[in-house]
Amino acid sequence: MIYDLFPLIWSGMITGCLYALGALGLVMIFKCSKVVNFSHGNVAGLTAFLVYGLSSGMLLSLSWGAAVLLAMLAAIAIAFLIYSIISPLVFESDLTSTIATLGFGLIAQGVTLLVFGADIVALDLPIPRFAISVLGLLVTGYDLTVLVVALVTIGALFVVIDYTKLGIAFRAISANPFAAEVCGLNLKSVHYFAWITAALLGVIGALLIVPTTFLSVTTVATFMLQAFAAAVIGGFASLPGALVGGILVGVMMNLFTFYVSPEYSSTFLLAAILVALNIFPNGVLQKVGGSRV
Amino acid sequence: MSDFLKIENLSVAYGAGAPAVNRVSFTVGKGAVVALLGANGAGKSSIMKAISGLTPATGTTTFEGEDISGLRARARVARGIVYVPEGREIVGGLSVRENLILGGYQKTASDRKKRIEMVLDLFPEIAEKVDRQAWRLSGGEQQMLAIGRGLVADPKLLLLDEPSLGLAPLLVRRVFDRLAMIRKESDLAIVLVEQNLAVTIRLCDELHFLRGGRIVGHSSATELKDVTARQQAIDAYLGAAVA
Repeated sequence: MIYDLFPLIWSGMITGCLYALGALGLVMIFKCSKVVNFSHGNVAGLTAFLVYGLSSGMLLSLSWGAAVLLAMLAAIAIAFLIYSIISPLVFESDLTSTIATLGFGLIAQGVTLLVFGADIVALDLPIPRFAISVLGLLVTGYDLTVLVVALVTIGALFVVIDYTKLGIAFRAISANPFAAEVCGLNLKSVHYFAWITAALLGVIGALLIVPTTFLSVTTVATFMLQAFAAAVIGGFASLPGALVGGILVGVMMNLFTFYVSPEYSSTFLLAAILVALNIFPNGVLQKVGGSRV
Repeated sequence: MSDFLKIENLSVAYGAGAPAVNRVSFTVGKGAVVALLGANGAGKSSIMKAISGLTPATGTTTFEGEDISGLRARARVARGIVYVPEGREIVGGLSVRENLILGGYQKTASDRKKRIEMVLDLFPEIAEKVDRQAWRLSGGEQQMLAIGRGLVADPKLLLLDEPSLGLAPLLVRRVFDRLAMIRKESDLAIVLVEQNLAVTIRLCDELHFLRGGRIVGHSSATELKDVTARQQAIDAYLGAAVA
Protein backbone atom coordinates (compact mmCIF):
# COMPACT_ATOMS: atom_id res chain seq x y z
CA MET A 1 0.00 0.00 0.00
CA ILE A 2 2.96 2.31 0.54
CA TYR A 3 3.55 2.20 -3.23
CA ASP A 4 0.25 4.00 -3.64
CA LEU A 5 1.34 6.89 -1.43
CA PHE A 6 3.21 9.00 -3.99
CA PRO A 7 0.59 8.72 -6.74
CA LEU A 8 -2.06 9.62 -4.15
CA ILE A 9 -0.08 12.65 -2.99
CA TRP A 10 0.51 13.71 -6.61
CA SER A 11 -3.15 13.45 -7.63
CA GLY A 12 -4.13 15.13 -4.36
CA MET A 13 -1.84 18.03 -5.19
CA ILE A 14 -3.41 18.35 -8.63
CA THR A 15 -6.95 18.42 -7.19
CA GLY A 16 -5.63 20.68 -4.45
CA CYS A 17 -4.56 23.26 -7.06
CA LEU A 18 -8.23 23.46 -8.10
CA TYR A 19 -9.40 23.78 -4.50
CA ALA A 20 -6.82 26.56 -4.16
CA LEU A 21 -8.35 28.40 -7.14
CA GLY A 22 -11.77 28.24 -5.48
CA ALA A 23 -10.34 29.17 -2.08
CA LEU A 24 -8.41 32.14 -3.50
CA GLY A 25 -11.69 33.57 -4.81
CA LEU A 26 -13.36 33.19 -1.44
CA VAL A 27 -10.38 34.76 0.34
CA MET A 28 -10.08 37.69 -2.08
CA ILE A 29 -13.68 38.64 -1.45
CA PHE A 30 -13.43 38.13 2.29
CA LYS A 31 -10.16 40.06 2.63
CA CYS A 32 -11.39 43.26 1.08
CA SER A 33 -15.16 43.28 1.59
CA LYS A 34 -15.38 41.03 4.70
CA VAL A 35 -18.11 38.94 3.08
CA VAL A 36 -18.09 35.12 3.00
CA ASN A 37 -19.46 34.54 -0.49
CA PHE A 38 -21.70 31.48 -0.26
CA SER A 39 -22.84 31.97 -3.87
CA HIS A 40 -19.33 31.24 -5.18
CA GLY A 41 -19.95 27.55 -5.95
CA ASN A 42 -23.39 27.88 -7.48
CA VAL A 43 -22.36 30.81 -9.69
CA ALA A 44 -19.29 28.88 -10.87
CA GLY A 45 -21.57 25.89 -11.51
CA LEU A 46 -23.93 28.03 -13.58
CA THR A 47 -21.05 29.28 -15.72
CA ALA A 48 -19.77 25.70 -16.21
CA PHE A 49 -23.26 24.77 -17.45
CA LEU A 50 -23.13 27.82 -19.73
CA VAL A 51 -19.99 26.43 -21.36
CA TYR A 52 -21.83 23.13 -21.83
CA GLY A 53 -24.96 24.84 -23.22
CA LEU A 54 -23.05 27.13 -25.56
CA SER A 55 -20.78 24.42 -26.97
CA SER A 56 -23.06 21.35 -27.06
CA GLY A 57 -25.85 22.71 -29.23
CA MET A 58 -28.26 22.98 -26.31
CA LEU A 59 -28.21 26.78 -26.48
CA LEU A 60 -25.69 27.40 -29.28
CA SER A 61 -23.04 25.43 -31.11
CA LEU A 62 -20.03 27.64 -30.50
CA SER A 63 -16.44 26.52 -30.41
CA TRP A 64 -15.10 25.51 -27.02
CA GLY A 65 -12.95 28.66 -26.77
CA ALA A 66 -15.84 30.99 -27.61
CA ALA A 67 -18.08 29.23 -25.10
CA VAL A 68 -15.49 29.62 -22.34
CA LEU A 69 -15.00 33.28 -23.23
CA LEU A 70 -18.74 33.94 -23.11
CA ALA A 71 -19.05 32.04 -19.82
CA MET A 72 -16.27 34.19 -18.36
CA LEU A 73 -18.04 37.35 -19.52
CA ALA A 74 -21.21 36.01 -17.92
CA ALA A 75 -19.29 35.33 -14.68
CA ILE A 76 -18.00 38.92 -14.73
CA ALA A 77 -21.52 40.24 -15.30
CA ILE A 78 -22.98 38.06 -12.51
CA ALA A 79 -20.24 39.09 -10.04
CA PHE A 80 -20.79 42.74 -10.99
CA LEU A 81 -24.55 42.38 -10.50
CA ILE A 82 -24.28 40.58 -7.15
CA TYR A 83 -21.81 43.09 -5.73
CA SER A 84 -23.83 46.04 -7.08
CA ILE A 85 -26.92 44.75 -5.27
CA ILE A 86 -25.22 43.94 -1.97
CA SER A 87 -22.71 46.81 -1.88
CA PRO A 88 -24.97 49.05 0.26
CA LEU A 89 -25.09 46.17 2.77
CA VAL A 90 -21.34 45.55 2.64
CA PHE A 91 -20.63 48.91 4.25
CA GLU A 92 -23.35 48.42 6.89
CA SER A 93 -23.20 44.78 7.99
CA ASP A 94 -20.82 41.97 7.05
CA LEU A 95 -23.28 39.39 8.36
CA THR A 96 -26.27 40.67 6.39
CA SER A 97 -24.29 40.79 3.16
CA THR A 98 -22.94 37.28 3.81
CA ILE A 99 -26.49 35.99 4.28
CA ALA A 100 -27.51 37.81 1.08
CA THR A 101 -24.92 35.76 -0.82
CA LEU A 102 -26.74 32.60 0.29
CA GLY A 103 -29.79 33.98 -1.50
CA PHE A 104 -27.80 34.67 -4.66
CA GLY A 105 -26.41 31.13 -4.50
CA LEU A 106 -29.94 29.72 -4.43
CA ILE A 107 -30.94 31.99 -7.32
CA ALA A 108 -27.93 30.80 -9.37
CA GLN A 109 -28.85 27.17 -8.60
CA GLY A 110 -32.48 27.84 -9.53
CA VAL A 111 -31.49 29.45 -12.84
CA THR A 112 -29.21 26.47 -13.59
CA LEU A 113 -32.09 24.04 -12.95
CA LEU A 114 -34.53 26.15 -14.96
CA VAL A 115 -32.30 26.53 -18.02
CA PHE A 116 -30.31 23.30 -18.02
CA GLY A 117 -32.51 20.91 -16.04
CA ALA A 118 -31.54 18.44 -13.34
CA ASP A 119 -29.79 15.96 -15.65
CA ILE A 120 -26.18 14.99 -15.24
CA VAL A 121 -24.19 15.91 -18.33
CA ALA A 122 -20.65 15.34 -19.56
CA LEU A 123 -18.60 18.39 -20.41
CA ASP A 124 -15.91 17.24 -22.77
CA LEU A 125 -13.13 19.80 -22.78
CA PRO A 126 -10.19 19.56 -25.21
CA ILE A 127 -7.68 18.47 -22.61
CA PRO A 128 -4.67 16.52 -23.98
CA ARG A 129 -5.16 12.81 -23.44
CA PHE A 130 -1.82 11.16 -22.78
CA ALA A 131 -0.02 9.62 -19.89
CA ILE A 132 3.70 9.47 -19.22
CA SER A 133 5.67 7.84 -16.47
CA VAL A 134 7.97 10.17 -14.52
CA LEU A 135 10.13 8.36 -11.94
CA GLY A 136 7.47 5.70 -11.71
CA LEU A 137 4.70 8.25 -11.29
CA LEU A 138 1.92 8.28 -13.89
CA VAL A 139 1.42 11.86 -15.09
CA THR A 140 -1.56 12.50 -17.37
CA GLY A 141 -2.34 15.30 -19.79
CA TYR A 142 -5.11 16.36 -17.42
CA ASP A 143 -2.61 16.63 -14.53
CA LEU A 144 -0.28 18.82 -16.55
CA THR A 145 -3.14 20.98 -17.86
CA VAL A 146 -4.41 21.62 -14.33
CA LEU A 147 -0.90 22.29 -13.07
CA VAL A 148 -0.03 24.74 -15.84
CA VAL A 149 -3.37 26.59 -15.76
CA ALA A 150 -3.36 26.79 -11.95
CA LEU A 151 0.27 27.92 -11.75
CA VAL A 152 -0.18 30.56 -14.45
CA THR A 153 -3.45 31.82 -12.95
CA ILE A 154 -2.22 31.91 -9.36
CA GLY A 155 1.16 33.35 -10.43
CA ALA A 156 -0.56 36.13 -12.39
CA LEU A 157 -2.83 36.87 -9.44
CA PHE A 158 0.11 37.10 -7.03
CA VAL A 159 2.02 39.38 -9.43
CA VAL A 160 -0.99 41.72 -9.64
CA ILE A 161 -1.49 41.72 -5.87
CA ASP A 162 2.18 42.14 -5.00
CA TYR A 163 3.53 44.42 -7.70
CA THR A 164 0.81 46.65 -9.16
CA LYS A 165 -0.91 49.81 -7.99
CA LEU A 166 -4.21 47.93 -7.98
CA GLY A 167 -2.62 45.24 -5.81
CA ILE A 168 -1.41 47.88 -3.35
CA ALA A 169 -4.95 49.27 -3.22
CA PHE A 170 -6.35 45.77 -2.64
CA ARG A 171 -3.92 45.11 0.20
CA ALA A 172 -4.50 48.54 1.72
CA ILE A 173 -8.28 48.18 1.66
CA SER A 174 -7.99 44.66 3.09
CA ALA A 175 -5.79 45.82 5.97
CA ASN A 176 -7.07 49.33 6.68
CA PRO A 177 -10.06 50.57 4.65
CA PHE A 178 -10.08 53.89 6.54
CA ALA A 179 -6.47 54.62 5.54
CA ALA A 180 -7.32 53.72 1.96
CA GLU A 181 -10.29 56.09 1.98
CA VAL A 182 -8.14 58.84 3.48
CA CYS A 183 -5.81 58.45 0.48
CA GLY A 184 -8.72 58.98 -1.91
CA LEU A 185 -9.18 55.38 -3.04
CA ASN A 186 -12.51 54.23 -4.40
CA LEU A 187 -13.26 51.29 -2.12
CA LYS A 188 -16.11 50.01 -4.27
CA SER A 189 -13.98 49.78 -7.43
CA VAL A 190 -11.41 47.63 -5.58
CA HIS A 191 -14.25 45.47 -4.21
CA TYR A 192 -15.48 45.01 -7.79
CA PHE A 193 -11.98 43.91 -8.78
CA ALA A 194 -11.98 41.28 -6.01
CA TRP A 195 -15.48 39.98 -6.79
CA ILE A 196 -14.83 39.77 -10.53
CA THR A 197 -11.42 38.11 -10.08
CA ALA A 198 -13.00 35.61 -7.67
CA ALA A 199 -15.73 34.80 -10.20
CA LEU A 200 -13.13 34.16 -12.91
CA LEU A 201 -11.10 31.93 -10.57
CA GLY A 202 -14.33 30.06 -9.85
CA VAL A 203 -15.00 29.49 -13.57
CA ILE A 204 -11.46 28.21 -14.15
CA GLY A 205 -11.69 25.89 -11.13
CA ALA A 206 -15.13 24.61 -12.15
CA LEU A 207 -14.11 23.91 -15.75
CA LEU A 208 -11.02 22.01 -14.64
CA ILE A 209 -12.78 19.91 -11.98
CA VAL A 210 -15.61 18.82 -14.30
CA PRO A 211 -13.47 16.48 -16.49
CA THR A 212 -12.85 14.30 -13.42
CA THR A 213 -16.55 13.85 -12.86
CA PHE A 214 -19.85 14.73 -14.53
CA LEU A 215 -21.53 18.10 -14.43
CA SER A 216 -24.64 18.37 -12.30
CA VAL A 217 -26.32 21.21 -10.43
CA THR A 218 -24.44 20.27 -7.27
CA THR A 219 -21.04 19.22 -8.70
CA VAL A 220 -19.33 22.59 -8.47
CA ALA A 221 -21.06 23.59 -5.23
CA THR A 222 -19.69 20.38 -3.65
CA PHE A 223 -16.25 21.17 -5.05
CA MET A 224 -16.50 24.61 -3.47
CA LEU A 225 -17.10 22.98 -0.08
CA GLN A 226 -13.56 21.62 -0.36
CA ALA A 227 -12.38 25.08 -1.47
CA PHE A 228 -14.11 26.54 1.58
CA ALA A 229 -12.23 24.08 3.80
CA ALA A 230 -8.99 25.10 2.06
CA ALA A 231 -9.73 28.76 2.75
CA VAL A 232 -10.46 28.02 6.43
CA ILE A 233 -7.25 26.00 6.83
CA GLY A 234 -5.36 28.86 5.20
CA GLY A 235 -6.87 31.34 7.66
CA PHE A 236 -9.54 32.79 5.34
CA ALA A 237 -7.64 36.05 5.04
CA SER A 238 -4.38 34.90 3.51
CA LEU A 239 -3.89 34.31 -0.22
CA PRO A 240 -0.77 32.12 0.24
CA GLY A 241 -2.71 30.37 3.02
CA ALA A 242 -5.50 29.55 0.57
CA LEU A 243 -2.98 28.04 -1.83
CA VAL A 244 -1.37 25.90 0.88
CA GLY A 245 -4.80 25.04 2.32
CA GLY A 246 -6.02 23.89 -1.10
CA ILE A 247 -3.09 21.53 -1.60
CA LEU A 248 -3.37 20.22 1.97
CA VAL A 249 -7.09 19.51 1.54
CA GLY A 250 -6.49 17.81 -1.83
CA VAL A 251 -3.78 15.53 -0.44
CA MET A 252 -5.57 14.77 2.86
CA MET A 253 -8.86 13.96 1.09
CA ASN A 254 -7.09 11.63 -1.32
CA LEU A 255 -5.23 9.80 1.44
CA PHE A 256 -8.34 9.51 3.61
CA THR A 257 -10.48 8.27 0.73
CA PHE A 258 -7.96 5.60 -0.25
CA TYR A 259 -6.71 4.42 3.14
CA VAL A 260 -9.77 4.92 5.35
CA SER A 261 -13.14 5.34 3.68
CA PRO A 262 -14.57 7.20 0.69
CA GLU A 263 -18.00 7.29 2.37
CA TYR A 264 -16.78 9.43 5.24
CA SER A 265 -14.60 11.82 3.25
CA SER A 266 -17.02 14.75 3.77
CA THR A 267 -17.15 14.02 7.50
CA PHE A 268 -13.36 13.95 7.53
CA LEU A 269 -13.30 17.31 5.73
CA LEU A 270 -15.58 18.92 8.31
CA ALA A 271 -13.49 17.41 11.13
CA ALA A 272 -10.35 18.80 9.45
CA ILE A 273 -11.95 22.29 9.41
CA LEU A 274 -12.74 22.02 13.14
CA VAL A 275 -9.25 20.80 14.01
CA ALA A 276 -7.66 23.52 11.85
CA LEU A 277 -9.77 26.21 13.50
CA ASN A 278 -8.63 25.01 16.92
CA ILE A 279 -4.94 24.52 16.19
CA PHE A 280 -4.45 27.30 13.61
CA PRO A 281 -7.21 29.85 14.24
CA ASN A 282 -5.40 32.33 11.96
CA GLY A 283 -4.38 29.78 9.37
CA VAL A 284 -1.49 27.43 8.78
CA LEU A 285 0.74 30.30 7.62
CA GLN A 286 0.03 32.45 10.65
CA LYS A 287 2.73 35.08 11.16
CA VAL A 288 3.58 37.54 13.88
CA GLY A 289 3.17 41.19 12.87
CA GLY A 290 2.17 42.41 9.42
CA SER A 291 1.72 40.24 6.37
CA ARG A 292 2.39 41.07 2.75
CA VAL A 293 -0.70 39.59 1.10
CA MET B 1 -5.66 86.58 2.96
CA SER B 2 -8.70 85.43 0.94
CA ASP B 3 -10.95 82.64 2.20
CA PHE B 4 -9.32 79.58 0.74
CA LEU B 5 -11.40 77.30 2.93
CA LYS B 6 -14.63 78.54 4.42
CA ILE B 7 -16.54 76.49 6.99
CA GLU B 8 -20.03 77.71 7.84
CA ASN B 9 -22.28 76.22 10.53
CA LEU B 10 -20.61 72.83 10.36
CA SER B 11 -22.31 70.23 12.56
CA VAL B 12 -21.50 66.56 13.05
CA ALA B 13 -23.68 64.13 15.01
CA TYR B 14 -23.11 60.48 15.83
CA GLY B 15 -26.42 58.83 16.67
CA ALA B 16 -29.19 60.62 18.55
CA GLY B 17 -27.07 62.22 21.28
CA ALA B 18 -25.63 65.71 21.51
CA PRO B 19 -23.75 66.73 18.35
CA ALA B 20 -19.99 66.20 18.40
CA VAL B 21 -19.61 69.45 16.45
CA ASN B 22 -22.21 72.19 16.76
CA ARG B 23 -22.49 74.97 14.15
CA VAL B 24 -18.78 75.66 13.85
CA SER B 25 -17.61 78.38 11.44
CA PHE B 26 -14.11 79.50 10.54
CA THR B 27 -11.97 80.32 7.53
CA VAL B 28 -8.47 79.45 6.37
CA GLY B 29 -6.50 81.67 4.00
CA LYS B 30 -4.25 80.40 1.23
CA GLY B 31 -0.93 79.37 2.78
CA ALA B 32 -2.23 79.97 6.31
CA VAL B 33 -1.89 77.60 9.23
CA VAL B 34 -4.91 77.46 11.50
CA ALA B 35 -4.92 75.40 14.67
CA LEU B 36 -7.87 73.85 16.44
CA LEU B 37 -7.20 73.27 20.11
CA GLY B 38 -9.29 71.63 22.76
CA ALA B 39 -9.46 68.83 25.25
CA ASN B 40 -10.41 65.27 24.30
CA GLY B 41 -13.97 65.12 22.98
CA ALA B 42 -14.04 68.80 22.00
CA GLY B 43 -14.86 67.85 18.39
CA LYS B 44 -11.51 68.59 16.75
CA SER B 45 -11.09 65.31 14.88
CA SER B 46 -14.77 65.29 13.87
CA ILE B 47 -14.24 68.69 12.21
CA MET B 48 -11.21 67.33 10.34
CA LYS B 49 -13.12 64.25 9.17
CA ALA B 50 -16.04 66.41 8.07
CA ILE B 51 -13.76 68.71 6.05
CA SER B 52 -12.12 65.70 4.41
CA GLY B 53 -15.50 64.12 3.61
CA LEU B 54 -14.98 61.07 5.81
CA THR B 55 -17.95 61.68 8.06
CA PRO B 56 -21.42 63.04 7.26
CA ALA B 57 -21.92 66.66 8.30
CA THR B 58 -24.35 69.51 7.83
CA GLY B 59 -23.40 73.09 7.04
CA THR B 60 -21.42 74.46 4.15
CA THR B 61 -17.80 73.81 3.22
CA THR B 62 -16.41 76.01 0.48
CA PHE B 63 -12.96 75.34 -0.97
CA GLU B 64 -11.40 77.72 -3.51
CA GLY B 65 -14.87 79.19 -4.07
CA GLU B 66 -16.52 75.81 -4.76
CA ASP B 67 -19.17 74.35 -2.48
CA ILE B 68 -17.76 70.90 -1.72
CA SER B 69 -20.25 69.99 1.01
CA GLY B 70 -21.72 67.05 -0.90
CA LEU B 71 -18.45 65.63 -2.21
CA ARG B 72 -17.02 62.28 -1.14
CA ALA B 73 -13.54 61.94 0.38
CA ARG B 74 -11.89 60.86 -2.88
CA ALA B 75 -13.29 63.88 -4.74
CA ARG B 76 -11.92 66.15 -2.03
CA VAL B 77 -8.50 64.47 -2.27
CA ALA B 78 -8.62 65.14 -6.02
CA ARG B 79 -9.19 68.83 -5.25
CA GLY B 80 -6.17 68.90 -2.94
CA ILE B 81 -7.73 68.41 0.50
CA VAL B 82 -5.66 65.76 2.25
CA TYR B 83 -6.17 64.42 5.75
CA VAL B 84 -3.38 63.01 7.92
CA PRO B 85 -5.39 61.24 10.61
CA GLU B 86 -4.81 60.92 14.31
CA GLY B 87 -2.95 57.70 15.14
CA ARG B 88 -1.14 57.82 11.75
CA GLU B 89 -3.32 55.13 10.12
CA ILE B 90 -0.51 53.95 7.89
CA VAL B 91 -0.92 50.46 6.41
CA GLY B 92 1.50 48.37 8.47
CA GLY B 93 1.67 45.44 6.06
CA LEU B 94 2.70 47.65 3.14
CA SER B 95 6.24 48.85 2.67
CA VAL B 96 7.15 52.51 3.18
CA ARG B 97 7.22 53.00 -0.61
CA GLU B 98 3.85 51.28 -1.04
CA ASN B 99 2.33 53.55 1.60
CA LEU B 100 3.66 56.55 -0.31
CA ILE B 101 2.25 55.16 -3.58
CA LEU B 102 -1.08 54.87 -1.80
CA GLY B 103 -0.85 58.55 -0.87
CA GLY B 104 -0.41 59.50 -4.52
CA TYR B 105 -2.94 57.00 -5.82
CA GLN B 106 -4.83 59.64 -7.80
CA LYS B 107 -1.70 61.18 -9.36
CA THR B 108 -0.17 60.13 -12.65
CA ALA B 109 2.77 57.71 -12.41
CA SER B 110 5.34 60.41 -13.23
CA ASP B 111 3.84 62.97 -10.82
CA ARG B 112 3.65 60.34 -8.11
CA LYS B 113 7.29 59.39 -8.62
CA LYS B 114 8.41 63.03 -8.36
CA ARG B 115 6.32 63.61 -5.24
CA ILE B 116 7.68 60.45 -3.58
CA GLU B 117 11.24 61.60 -4.30
CA MET B 118 10.42 64.99 -2.79
CA VAL B 119 8.98 63.38 0.35
CA LEU B 120 11.99 61.06 0.73
CA ASP B 121 14.28 64.10 0.46
CA LEU B 122 12.23 65.82 3.14
CA PHE B 123 12.25 62.81 5.45
CA PRO B 124 15.62 61.05 5.06
CA GLU B 125 14.78 58.94 8.13
CA ILE B 126 12.22 56.96 6.12
CA ALA B 127 14.16 57.18 2.84
CA GLU B 128 16.67 54.74 4.32
CA LYS B 129 13.87 52.26 5.05
CA VAL B 130 11.80 52.60 1.92
CA ASP B 131 11.43 48.85 1.34
CA ARG B 132 10.76 48.03 4.99
CA GLN B 133 7.24 47.16 6.12
CA ALA B 134 5.69 50.22 7.75
CA TRP B 135 4.83 48.44 11.01
CA ARG B 136 8.56 47.98 11.61
CA LEU B 137 9.17 51.75 11.76
CA SER B 138 9.48 53.65 15.04
CA GLY B 139 6.64 55.93 16.16
CA GLY B 140 8.38 59.05 14.89
CA GLU B 141 9.18 57.46 11.55
CA GLN B 142 5.57 56.29 11.22
CA GLN B 143 4.40 59.86 11.81
CA MET B 144 6.82 61.11 9.15
CA LEU B 145 5.47 58.45 6.80
CA ALA B 146 1.89 59.51 7.55
CA ILE B 147 2.70 63.17 6.79
CA GLY B 148 4.80 62.13 3.79
CA ARG B 149 1.95 60.02 2.44
CA GLY B 150 -0.29 63.07 2.68
CA LEU B 151 2.28 65.24 0.89
CA VAL B 152 2.61 62.78 -2.02
CA ALA B 153 -0.98 63.69 -2.92
CA ASP B 154 0.29 67.24 -3.64
CA PRO B 155 -2.19 68.86 -1.27
CA LYS B 156 -3.35 72.46 -1.31
CA LEU B 157 -4.84 72.04 2.15
CA LEU B 158 -3.33 69.60 4.66
CA LEU B 159 -5.47 68.53 7.60
CA LEU B 160 -3.06 67.40 10.31
CA ASP B 161 -4.66 65.61 13.23
CA GLU B 162 -2.46 65.48 16.35
CA PRO B 163 0.90 64.88 14.66
CA SER B 164 2.69 65.01 18.04
CA LEU B 165 0.56 62.29 19.63
CA GLY B 166 2.67 59.63 21.32
CA LEU B 167 5.98 61.12 20.22
CA ALA B 168 8.98 62.00 22.40
CA PRO B 169 9.67 65.77 22.64
CA LEU B 170 12.73 65.52 20.38
CA LEU B 171 10.69 63.81 17.67
CA VAL B 172 7.87 66.33 18.05
CA ARG B 173 10.38 69.10 17.43
CA ARG B 174 11.77 67.27 14.40
CA VAL B 175 8.31 66.72 12.88
CA PHE B 176 7.29 70.34 13.45
CA ASP B 177 10.61 71.61 12.03
CA ARG B 178 9.79 69.72 8.81
CA LEU B 179 6.30 71.16 8.76
CA ALA B 180 7.77 74.66 9.18
CA MET B 181 10.12 73.92 6.28
CA ILE B 182 7.22 72.79 4.07
CA ARG B 183 5.30 75.90 5.01
CA LYS B 184 8.24 78.13 4.16
CA GLU B 185 8.78 76.55 0.76
CA SER B 186 5.15 76.32 -0.42
CA ASP B 187 1.79 78.03 -0.14
CA LEU B 188 0.28 74.96 1.47
CA ALA B 189 -2.53 75.77 3.88
CA ILE B 190 -2.73 73.66 7.03
CA VAL B 191 -5.46 73.01 9.55
CA LEU B 192 -3.72 71.60 12.58
CA VAL B 193 -5.35 69.81 15.48
CA GLU B 194 -3.11 69.69 18.52
CA GLN B 195 -3.10 69.48 22.28
CA ASN B 196 0.48 70.70 22.51
CA LEU B 197 0.08 74.48 22.60
CA ALA B 198 3.79 75.30 22.73
CA VAL B 199 4.67 73.63 19.41
CA THR B 200 1.42 74.74 17.80
CA ILE B 201 2.18 78.42 18.37
CA ARG B 202 5.51 78.03 16.58
CA LEU B 203 3.82 76.89 13.40
CA CYS B 204 0.40 78.49 13.15
CA ASP B 205 -1.04 81.92 12.41
CA GLU B 206 -4.37 81.61 14.13
CA LEU B 207 -5.85 79.40 16.83
CA HIS B 208 -9.44 78.41 17.55
CA PHE B 209 -10.32 76.94 20.93
CA LEU B 210 -13.00 74.29 21.06
CA ARG B 211 -15.14 72.97 23.88
CA GLY B 212 -18.16 70.69 23.64
CA GLY B 213 -18.22 70.85 19.85
CA ARG B 214 -18.25 74.66 19.68
CA ILE B 215 -15.60 77.30 19.06
CA VAL B 216 -15.37 79.17 22.35
CA GLY B 217 -12.52 81.51 21.57
CA HIS B 218 -9.78 82.39 19.14
CA SER B 219 -6.46 84.11 19.11
CA SER B 220 -3.52 84.85 16.85
CA ALA B 221 -0.26 83.00 17.43
CA THR B 222 1.50 86.34 17.94
CA GLU B 223 -0.79 87.18 20.86
CA LEU B 224 -0.01 83.84 22.53
CA LYS B 225 3.75 84.22 22.32
CA ASP B 226 3.45 86.21 25.53
CA VAL B 227 3.64 83.71 28.43
CA THR B 228 0.95 85.44 30.48
CA ALA B 229 -1.48 85.57 27.55
CA ARG B 230 -0.76 81.91 26.83
CA GLN B 231 -1.50 80.92 30.42
CA GLN B 232 -4.71 82.95 30.32
CA ALA B 233 -5.79 81.12 27.15
CA ILE B 234 -5.01 77.77 28.76
CA ASP B 235 -6.98 78.65 31.87
CA ALA B 236 -9.90 80.06 29.91
CA TYR B 237 -10.30 77.47 27.18
CA LEU B 238 -8.25 74.35 27.62
CA GLY B 239 -7.81 73.49 31.29
CA ALA B 240 -4.67 72.67 33.22
CA ALA B 241 -4.06 69.41 31.36
CA VAL B 242 -2.85 71.23 28.26
CA ALA B 243 0.46 73.07 28.31
